[in-house]
Amino acid sequence: MGRINGLIRTMISYSRRLRYARYFNSNPMYNRALIFLFAVISCYILVFSASAARPQLRFSVEDIKSPVFQTKSIIARIDSGHSGAQELTIGIEEITVQNYALKDIRVLCRSFQWHQKEIECTNGQLIARDLFVSPVPMQFVATRSHLTIDLRPSGSERWQFSVQWDDAFWHVVLAIETGKMTHVTRWLPDISDHENFPKLTEGTFSGRIQFNGDLTGLTSAHIDLSVDVLAFSDPTGMHAGENIALSVKSNVMRNPQHQHWEWRGDVLWQQGAVFWQPLFFSGADHYLNVQGVFDGKTLTLQDSHLALSDIGTVKFSGVVDWPDGMVHRFRLDADNIALSALSEQVLKPFLADTMFAELEVSGQSDFTLQVRDGTLRRVKLSLDDVNIVDQRNRFAFHRINAHIPWRADNTTVADISFLNGHVLRIPLGTVRVPLEIKDSRLLLPQLALPVLDGILKLEDFSAAYTDDGWRWEFGGELTPVSMEALTEALQIQPMHGILSGYIPKVRYDGESVSVNGVLQINVFDGSVVIHQLKLIEPMGLTPHLTADIAMRNLDLGLLTSAFSFGKVEGRVDIDVNQLELANWKPIHFNARLFSSPGSYTRRISQAAIRNISALGGEGAVVAIQRSFLRFFEEFSYAEIGWRCALRFNVCYMGGIEPEPKSSYTLIRGGGIPSINVMGYNRDVNWQELITRLQRITQENEPVIQ
Amino acid sequence: MVSRFYSVLLFMALMLAPLTGQAQEANLEINTPAIANIKQSMQNRHTQLVQYYTSGAVGLTQDGMVTMRDANAVPLAQRQAVNTLVAAENQDRAALYREIARANNHPEWESKIRATFGQRWTNLARPGWWYQAGGAWKQK
Repeated sequence: MGRINGLIRTMISYSRRLRYARYFNSNPMYNRALIFLFAVISCYILVFSASAARPQLRFSVEDIKSPVFQTKSIIARIDSGHSGAQELTIGIEEITVQNYALKDIRVLCRSFQWHQKEIECTNGQLIARDLFVSPVPMQFVATRSHLTIDLRPSGSERWQFSVQWDDAFWHVVLAIETGKMTHVTRWLPDISDHENFPKLTEGTFSGRIQFNGDLTGLTSAHIDLSVDVLAFSDPTGMHAGENIALSVKSNVMRNPQHQHWEWRGDVLWQQGAVFWQPLFFSGADHYLNVQGVFDGKTLTLQDSHLALSDIGTVKFSGVVDWPDGMVHRFRLDADNIALSALSEQVLKPFLADTMFAELEVSGQSDFTLQVRDGTLRRVKLSLDDVNIVDQRNRFAFHRINAHIPWRADNTTVADISFLNGHVLRIPLGTVRVPLEIKDSRLLLPQLALPVLDGILKLEDFSAAYTDDGWRWEFGGELTPVSMEALTEALQIQPMHGILSGYIPKVRYDGESVSVNGVLQINVFDGSVVIHQLKLIEPMGLTPHLTADIAMRNLDLGLLTSAFSFGKVEGRVDIDVNQLELANWKPIHFNARLFSSPGSYTRRISQAAIRNISALGGEGAVVAIQRSFLRFFEEFSYAEIGWRCALRFNVCYMGGIEPEPKSSYTLIRGGGIPSINVMGYNRDVNWQELITRLQRITQENEPVIQ
Repeated sequence: MVSRFYSVLLFMALMLAPLTGQAQEANLEINTPAIANIKQSMQNRHTQLVQYYTSGAVGLTQDGMVTMRDANAVPLAQRQAVNTLVAAENQDRAALYREIARANNHPEWESKIRATFGQRWTNLARPGWWYQAGGAWKQK
């Protein structure tokens, strides 16, 4: 009977422990529901049966309900064997913790000792198929103030759970050696059960998790774990990690004086790789520290930081209302961030399907961000000797230094400068920009931007960020730029003269740059007026340019010498209407070249005649070769004309006359000696025509035989 | 070899059955410098992509694009690179359809052209490649 009394005392002691559970949560609802130790503790001595050699003790508990866990149907049975050894069998139908249920749990203890103050099982097995595939060797020791359960599922894996308590304090410690993460996946938050959320697939952890409490509840918690070979993945593999090693330390302490919790967490990323579309994160020695206080209404972050090796350190702090998540205050400071690594690891993956997909960025940056009452209030970005280079060679800016402040409630002025750069191969010189920033608008009253040997004067530049992206506009003027420098920069046929002009309002609507008005340029001693100029997707894969161009009074001497075409004196007007370039190459236009009205010298060399006739047919050359005309170096002409309608890679040519005929006049002679040059090819493949022109212009001085 | 196969594939995609409905008159063989550039870019990339079509990591979508279908078929360290490859291919494909529509002087045909190409890429896919049909993935 002494054993029975001991058991009853053990049960009483257990009831007291349940009462302590009340203090885990101060919520009244839980207090009301706290412990329902349902009815039946049917403790009955069934059998000291007829077979006195095999006595049996059995008791059952139907339900235990608490805010922390619930159990259904606990049955314990103690058998005494013939040799005097005792066996313990415990069966639990179900244990539920945080909506997760473990069913059919059994403890078999073949070496079981039961003393007045201690119950000990040294050779037991835990069968819990929801946790472990096969029975797990276990041992436990229980006294009136201590319970230790030791599980050794396999190999070096060991889980030791111990609870100590007395009238004032309790301590719970879970010590793990090489514990498999998969055992705990079911206890992770609900979101882990979402179909597409990554799930742990591999990993072990070792260390200690400790909870301490008193009669009022939890007073502190400490976690010190090292995680190894951690792996996770979602079903598609778009969010996955492999071979991750972490060290995790955390302390939570209740401060009774201030009625709040003081907490701190440290995570050291030792190795591993994570692909979280579109980011790929790897490397070693990344470190996260978060710390602060929690008073039940607000979560305060204090002096926390994230240190990413290769990139830099980000410090942050803030106050978040609990539980609605409203950011009351937040501040982030990043100093000396290495932009090269930041760009490669963080920015570029997000820019993969944009025009900035192939940016190379280097240099350093400081960044500050402040949020107040859920609204972004201040941002400050500083760039220190930053280089931005497009790998497709569309643009580049070198040695950028900038101080860019932004405030939600005020206008600020940014100071931006760069040493040099280029846009679409056109070199830009040193410039310093005082840029006004107001909300999401940028304003720049005036800017002188060195372009080659001239200056591009921008006036009234404004840009705004809208739901559809950036919009900007400006007007201005281009002071003389030498054509030699421009053509050299554009890597096209060298030309002489100057380029200058007035730039009316230019607008970018998120897709196209269009000129509102006409663009006027002075070149080859004549004028060029461009109407309806529009550049569609200027930085896209296939920029399109459309325009109508009217060139007037161009000096043919300058023009033909630029192209080594053979000397021609005179002046021409050229109309190019419905011009469309795709990827900077023409795909459509209606072009017409004709002699300018007025009085001027009109002479053309044999070389030029040969070259012109090569474009339109060989008839003229043959005529020259067969006649006395071959003795003259130059001829007079009355009129020059050429037409080309480009459609689907074919140039439909014509001459001075507008009507299409089988032949057409390219040069109408006048004076002495004079010559007419006729064209016979009406349809010429555009690429073939270009090839001919290139061949001609590469042969500096054609020989007339 | 792969490059040659791709040339044939691209050529056939451009040559096969005419567009239906509104875009019936569209000339898919049309060639402009921009289209030639895009095709060259796609052809160069195909040598890198073909292994991922074969492994099932990348599949062909109904709208004439490609997508990462099963990243698990790609080693973790290479997934970002394949992701970037897919994004670049889709940029080229979108530009190709847009350019063909523009070259036909009917930019509004882009979506029809895209759908037609989607069908053609699927028809021309090699055995074992994955494609989308009716919202579900199927293997040729």
